[in-house]
Amino acid sequence: MRQHTTQPEAEGATPSASVPWPIALDQVTVRYPNGVVALKDVSLRVEPGEMISVVGLSGSGKSTMIRTINGLVPATSGTVTVGPHTVTGLSGRQLRQLRGHVGMIFQHFNLADRASVYQNVLVGRFSHTPTWRTLLGSARPADRDIAMRALDSVGMLEKVWQRGGALSGGQKQRVAIARALSQEPAVMLADEPVASLDPPTAHSVMADLQRINQERGLTVLVNLHLMDLARQYTTRMIGLREGRLVYDGPAADATDADFEEIYGRPIQVKDRLDR
Amino acid sequence: MTATTTTRAATGALQIPVRPRSWPVRLAWAAVAVAIVAAFWDLGIEWSKLASLPSDLAHYTRLMFSDPDWSKLPEALYQTWRSVAMAWTGALLGVVLSTLLGIPAAQGVGPLWVRLPLRWVFAVIRAVPEVVIAIIILTVTGLTPFTGALALAIGGIGTHAKWTYETIESVPQGTSEAVRASGGNVLEVARWGLWPAASPELMSLGLYRFEINVRTSAILGLIGVGGIGDMLTGYTQYREWDTVGVLIIVVIVVTMSIDAVSGRIRRRIMEGAKARDLDRSA
Amino acid sequence: MTTAPQLDIPPRPRTWPRRALIAGAVLVVTVLTTTPALGGVEIDLDSIARNWGNGASRIAMLFQPDWSILPRTWEPMLETLEMALIGTAVSAALAIPLSLWAARPTNPGNPLRMAVRFVLNVVRAVPDLVYATILVAMVGVGALPGIITLVLFDLGIVVKLVSEAIDSSDSSYMEAGRAAGGTQTQINRVTALPQAWPAFASQVLYSLELNVRVSAILGLVGAGGIGRLIDEVRGFYRYDALSTIILLLLVVVILIEVASNYLRKRLR
Repeated sequence: MRQHTTQPEAEGATPSASVPWPIALDQVTVRYPNGVVALKDVSLRVEPGEMISVVGLSGSGKSTMIRTINGLVPATSGTVTVGPHTVTGLSGRQLRQLRGHVGMIFQHFNLADRASVYQNVLVGRFSHTPTWRTLLGSARPADRDIAMRALDSVGMLEKVWQRGGALSGGQKQRVAIARALSQEPAVMLADEPVASLDPPTAHSVMADLQRINQERGLTVLVNLHLMDLARQYTTRMIGLREGRLVYDGPAADATDADFEEIYGRPIQVKDRLDR
Repeated sequence: MTATTTTRAATGALQIPVRPRSWPVRLAWAAVAVAIVAAFWDLGIEWSKLASLPSDLAHYTRLMFSDPDWSKLPEALYQTWRSVAMAWTGALLGVVLSTLLGIPAAQGVGPLWVRLPLRWVFAVIRAVPEVVIAIIILTVTGLTPFTGALALAIGGIGTHAKWTYETIESVPQGTSEAVRASGGNVLEVARWGLWPAASPELMSLGLYRFEINVRTSAILGLIGVGGIGDMLTGYTQYREWDTVGVLIIVVIVVTMSIDAVSGRIRRRIMEGAKARDLDRSA
Repeated sequence: MTTAPQLDIPPRPRTWPRRALIAGAVLVVTVLTTTPALGGVEIDLDSIARNWGNGASRIAMLFQPDWSILPRTWEPMLETLEMALIGTAVSAALAIPLSLWAARPTNPGNPLRMAVRFVLNVVRAVPDLVYATILVAMVGVGALPGIITLVLFDLGIVVKLVSEAIDSSDSSYMEAGRAAGGTQTQINRVTALPQAWPAFASQVLYSLELNVRVSAILGLVGAGGIGRLIDEVRGFYRYDALSTIILLLLVVVILIEVASNYLRKRLR
């Protein structure tokens, strides 16, 4: 009986039906224990379903900012709101629940090299799985299904039984995207997702993110340091410099002067992917 | 409605690759499992004993540690000191012997006809426990701490000489080649090429040998060569648990303190070596 | 007055005080540990010379192994191997959670990690035969105290080395698990465990090698295995029989070392 009642729930959750969430930062400041102030008084509102880039040099605070959204870095002051959740002050089970709705991909992919692609993608199902079930190592058929479909959607299904470490950089990032997608997130965060990839792969990964935004309607927030990628793939752009918000506007309209303002120096060749 | 049907269709179309399974590996695991079960079976462990084990342990723990007989502490400390003395002498002798034997056993130092027999000797010694070595030599040396130290020294050669030649082999070839190129003979190569690069590691390993010996020397006491092990066997046989408790506490505290101090020195040695390397490369 | 151009020689780092200090410390400790009046080791070469005739003939017996004891070795040798195997298996099973709890990436909570590490340091500080002696007095003669001894001994080694391996390896995958809303236990089970597997397997094999050596002597204090036989023949100074046992032990240890080296290579 019970199985019958859970089945529709599980299926109802499986398609890309999750409603995208807005994100709001209100006067957020982050000071690390070593005294470094990484984010200074940043306020920002992201509408549901937006594709938005955060541009800045390394050390500008964009990694910190993106991590305040899923609580990997707690805000020292100010409030972060994601959908119905107020991230600030969350901990334990509630924080994990929120994170379950926020997918994230990383510059260095953060795959477990010795675990199979399948296991790496199942990581995305953690927040929907009781710990004891994970301990026993038996995934529910529904979870397995979600993981497989997520892999299929990034074209990595055929690698499902290979080890994470056996893949190329671009393949790893695709698996990482599948891992985030299998969370069925309402928000997708990407921290410099293409900084470790070669230009053609970088473009295809950015295109994947764009497709996710358009087809699934997810709110997508991408950290980038390259101006042409921000202009080409995102609709709105945030500029961060030394922890302060210095630009907020349509990405396509951002002029070279705007970028020089964000970088705090003249534009260099390395600021573009396609030279 | 349509959304569900399309996903259904998509699910049906998924070509999930067949999970590769390695039969030899599975068979090996099964064999290991069977061996473990068979071993349990064959040993005939009395399950009733196993069941009463936790309460037994609790009972004896209480006997040993609830009211330790601290009047035995001075004697315990003295015997521990004898064990540590045995450990140090054994380590020093063992390291000297291992260095003398280990260096010619390293590739690039000794010729093959020297290396191979030496390595065989090390392997043989490794297989023989120190206690057995002590049993063998005590006919000549008697039941004295000196026997213990000798057993530690000889037993130590097995692993320590192996570490020595492995350390020397891991020294980058460049420096010794440079010395050889400037006309150095074997001794000069060892002194100016190998020693500066290998000595921190060897010194650190020597201290580690001492740490190991501190534990082993307590074991050697059990066959009667003196030290804390001797005392422990005696009081365990008389079942004077309150004294045994004191002895165990002393062993734990002394061993952990020696580990901590020696570990710190070893870290300093290795860090110093690293810093000097940086100096050189700068 | 002519002044030669000044060479700006950097001051030579003074290494000799350090070296003198080290040499001095080694010397002092050595003197202290070899002074019989202070309880140190008495290096008594005279007695060796005196006992030489008597002892040397016994040691010479080592070179004439008495093969007639061989049939009596099978059973205790099998017991030794079985104890070693069970000790390894039980300690391996216990070491999985303990290693994960003892490493920083897999257990960021300080109190539990410190507690596990401290307890294991204490466990490691007690020599194996001391455990065996006490356990034999507690639960009686036989294989059981031997197995418990091996389990304690192995746990100390395996957990220490595996948790250090986890500490020093890259654990960026943790962040992904955390970002996905996983509990630490989930992250450890699915990702940290496969990552730690090679280190774990290699240490478990190593502990199997050590166990054969250790369980060979456990019988000296009544904890089962070939040590029983060693104890018996040494009582009668039957060094020719002891020689046979040592040779057998040698063969077994080397076989296991070869097998475990092969497996270790395969597991990479």
